[in-house]
Amino acid sequence: MTSPDLTTAPTPPASDPSRPGRRLDFGSFWDTWGITSVLVLLVLVAVATTPDFLAISNLQSILRESAYLGIVACAMTVLIINGAFDLSVGGQLALVSVLTLFAYGVGGTGLAVVTALAAGTACGMVNGFLVTALRVPPFVATLGMLFVFRGIAYLLTQNGPATLPYTEVDSPFAQIGSLNLALVPFPFVLMVVVFGLAYVLLRRTPTGRRIVAFGSSPVAARFSGVSAARIRFVVFALVGLAVGIATLTYITRVWTADGAAQDGFELSVITAAVLGGASLQGGRGSLVGTFSAVLLVTVLNDVLVAHGVDASYQNIILGTVLIIALAIDGLRTRFAGVNLLRRSFGPRTPKAA
Amino acid sequence: MSTTTERRTTSAPPRRTVVDVVVSALRSAPLTIPLILVAAALSFATSRFLTLGNLENVLVAASIIVIPGLAMTLCITMGEFDLSVGSTVALTGVITCTVIADGAHGLVGMLAGLVTGALVGVLNGLVITRFGVTPFIATLATMVIVRGAATALSGGRDVIVNDPTLKYMAAGRPLGIPMPIVLAVLALAVMLWVTYRTRFGRHVAAIGSNRDAAHLSGLPVDRIRLAVYVMIGVAGAIWGILISAQLQKGSGQLGLGFELDAITIVVIGGTSLLGGHAAVMGTVIGALLIETIRNGLNLLNVPPAYQRISVGLLLVAALAIQAIRRKAPVEVLDDKP
Repeated sequence: MTSPDLTTAPTPPASDPSRPGRRLDFGSFWDTWGITSVLVLLVLVAVATTPDFLAISNLQSILRESAYLGIVACAMTVLIINGAFDLSVGGQLALVSVLTLFAYGVGGTGLAVVTALAAGTACGMVNGFLVTALRVPPFVATLGMLFVFRGIAYLLTQNGPATLPYTEVDSPFAQIGSLNLALVPFPFVLMVVVFGLAYVLLRRTPTGRRIVAFGSSPVAARFSGVSAARIRFVVFALVGLAVGIATLTYITRVWTADGAAQDGFELSVITAAVLGGASLQGGRGSLVGTFSAVLLVTVLNDVLVAHGVDASYQNIILGTVLIIALAIDGLRTRFAGVNLLRRSFGPRTPKAA
Repeated sequence: MSTTTERRTTSAPPRRTVVDVVVSALRSAPLTIPLILVAAALSFATSRFLTLGNLENVLVAASIIVIPGLAMTLCITMGEFDLSVGSTVALTGVITCTVIADGAHGLVGMLAGLVTGALVGVLNGLVITRFGVTPFIATLATMVIVRGAATALSGGRDVIVNDPTLKYMAAGRPLGIPMPIVLAVLALAVMLWVTYRTRFGRHVAAIGSNRDAAHLSGLPVDRIRLAVYVMIGVAGAIWGILISAQLQKGSGQLGLGFELDAITIVVIGGTSLLGGHAAVMGTVIGALLIETIRNGLNLLNVPPAYQRISVGLLLVAALAIQAIRRKAPVEVLDDKP
């Protein structure tokens, strides 16, 4: 089932002579760069139609806005490649936000940062425990925990939402969201770092190879001795950690949180990963794609807002984009198909380079 | 086609009476005992629980949620989900109320709502079967689109109506029985018949057990899937009509998160997420259990936040117990060689 261009399987050593080189047809191009091309196209349209699009402040706000979605979507891509997904990230974000704000009130910046990372990871570990030790299917386990995390967040904010007081505007904590490093917003830098780490994890470490292997073929992975449960537990914990990092950039931008914070966040995250080319069947996903998809979603929202399009139409457009992207994918596999392409172009010889 | 059917019929178990079906279905619903325990505990905890009026409230609430739950049971039996049903509730409510507010008769409004629901189902079904998009993602996208359409149509405002026909759907009492309960019992009868007694029901289960095998044995797989999504669309429309009948308004915000409620009652009722096995009575018990818990927590003045937490824990616990009882991994996640 795995043709080389359809997976993110780590590139095998160059000494392997049996494996053909990367094929350059529309299919493999679309898989890797499809969504990025759409992003480039959209940016061109945006530049042409929206006067202030290229203003530094607008670009900064797009990058700042994309960070928390991107950080979580990155980890979610790894989880989807591993063959599972996490519906509870919205609940996690709400809960961790509330806890972080409480921690900031008690112990300042240091405690807030530690709390965010620890609470996020803990949430992820709960999911991982349910899925691996109790064998609850990821869909239901994380759906249940979505209710639970949100419920706890609601409970903690019964007497009003947790907020960062305005007097703290100059604190190092508040700076996390507003700082610019040479004009680049710090949250975006964090997002790039997270994507970089995820790339290294998937491509350069044995753990990453196992994550992909289990997602592509659970049975084969098991026969080759991959400890599926432990790997999956780790990936769920990583998603939690990513939510912790994302919370730091999110909460220092909106300054307030309660149980309803970011309702529907899980769906935006999964949408971004799937738009980026991740398949919910597992084994397939692209960090580059997810990165572009996150920017695509944020740019699209920015453009629509700039043109005064109502929020409800924004959702309609976003949903339609998602369906079209997937339909292209589905139709390509069905009609053009890898087999058809192979038949038309004959067997491919390994490329020299 | 006909040979397939004959082979299936001969291999099917002997015909059972309705009583047999109900009894065995009740036995297969793992939640009957928890439901009785919760109800007993609530009767002791608060004197207001075991009153006729309150029990009726529970039944009405469970009836409203069980109608889409039954359709969702069929979908999950097929091994798929529909996440768009909560948005269908919003769109149906908005369309029904808009049509009524424009001066049409209540029945016309409801008919418009039902057609809307069916169209959402057709949209889902076509995207899934024609374009080969995973149901999870396809219905996720339509969920966003349909809710967007509901909000756009209503201009972000509530569409308020005051229509006797619509009101009758929520508050009417034919033969003294509240209308939602009547509808739910009808829906249950139809679904028991469809699921356990018709070729269509067996085909749905066959697709859930092994879609490729079902396709190879000549079942019109895509047409059946399309039909199931249309059924969910219509059930979601009924849900939307009942909710907007209760509130006498339509709004783009109605039914937020309802898809999760519908899936929850099906899953805790014992229908396997892997497909192939429908627990229709389990869904009924699941609806009763969830609504009993919600009602009880309300009566005990427990903050709504705890309702969320308890529903979530219930969902996870039900599945963990299922997995442990089966002593088999729910998916290939076995650590040991």
